[in-house]
Amino acid sequence: MPWSPVNTFEFWNRRLHYYIGLYLLFFVWLFALTGLLLNHPAWKFAEFWPTRRQAAFERQIARPPAAPDLTQAKNILAQLGLTGEIEWTSARADARRLDFRASRPGHIFEIKTDFDRERATVERIDLNTWGVMHILHTFTGVRAGDSRNQRDWMLTSMWVWSMDAVAIGLMTMVFGSYYMWWRLRRERAWGLVALISGWMACWLFVVGLRLLE
Amino acid sequence: MQRDFYLVTRDLHLYAGLFISPFVVLFALSVFVLVHPAGFLPSVSAPQAARSVRNLEIPARLENLSGRPRVEAVRSLLDQAGVNGEIGYIRYTPKEHRLSIPVNIPGRETTLDLDLNSRNATIVVRETGVWDALVQLHKSPGPHLAEIRMNWIAMRLWRWLADATVYLLLFISASGIYLWTVLRSERRAGIAILIAGAVSFCGMVYALVAG
Repeated sequence: MPWSPVNTFEFWNRRLHYYIGLYLLFFVWLFALTGLLLNHPAWKFAEFWPTRRQAAFERQIARPPAAPDLTQAKNILAQLGLTGEIEWTSARADARRLDFRASRPGHIFEIKTDFDRERATVERIDLNTWGVMHILHTFTGVRAGDSRNQRDWMLTSMWVWSMDAVAIGLMTMVFGSYYMWWRLRRERAWGLVALISGWMACWLFVVGLRLLE
Repeated sequence: MQRDFYLVTRDLHLYAGLFISPFVVLFALSVFVLVHPAGFLPSVSAPQAARSVRNLEIPARLENLSGRPRVEAVRSLLDQAGVNGEIGYIRYTPKEHRLSIPVNIPGRETTLDLDLNSRNATIVVRETGVWDALVQLHKSPGPHLAEIRMNWIAMRLWRWLADATVYLLLFISASGIYLWTVLRSERRAGIAILIAGAVSFCGMVYALVAG
């Protein structure tokens, strides 16, 4: 095939479609399957909260140096040998105490500290594989409208970049596939029917329901 | 026979892919809002002027109902008030004998406040924008309030479409693997990339869960 910008584009567009699809295969399966599970909470086989394991323990800690809450929380986690995304569950009312949650897919640690007694009480919750999968779907470290909780664990950030990459990769595949399909003259008519049906259904939900009300 | 199977699979991959592609774009775009909420300024409009509806016919024992029966009873009130949408939750304030009912259409939130004594309701509408609509659809139906969710026909249809998107995506990925394996020239590079993806995925999940 002679070199031309169009040929080069077609060559790489086709390969990107395969390569992105293959690279993201397991990520896409995870997010697709867990999306299905999240939408069907009544599916008993995927239950994870009733089967959680709980344990509580108390440990001696050294009072962390005066610092912002996040720094102190990281210090306490390091002393306890724990890692995870720190989440503030309540406003701090007493400088002698610091209560927070550290979580990672499958594990939740509710930590309550008393700096005067130099003690930390940890309630640990472990979830089964379904619980891990559920949480992977939503593990972003942030929530809309909650400015206090920011991503503070490097692995959360890396997981979020994976989510971004999956989203960008899927959109690249979608728009690249439109070009490949359009080049197949024989498939244009039915392809157009499928594509327009999809876009109209989407438009209906994103915009149309409001306009039609 | 094998060629027929290949052609049928290729056509199904193509048409199913084209049909669900807008849904994939919808879910993918909403990911950015969900994981980077600070980067998306809320486009919530100022509430429109409140309107009142008087002399609503209150279903019997409404305040004593709960769950789905309460939602169904409230639906008749919404019909009287000309409000459509998915009922989010119903908050009852016994002291004031009032009900507060947020009703959502993707991109619009309507709140109906009902005084059960006077049988008058105040309705406030806020436009929350396209990004909010995408997020709302991404999270619907979701795991919470399962007993009362999907109480509006449009959202029941959406639940069906969201499920269909997953099933078709699984079909497309499986058929895509088959179509790739047929291309001999792409096998070696494809296998390398597939392994790289599997290693990235497993490594990341392992680090998150156990690392």
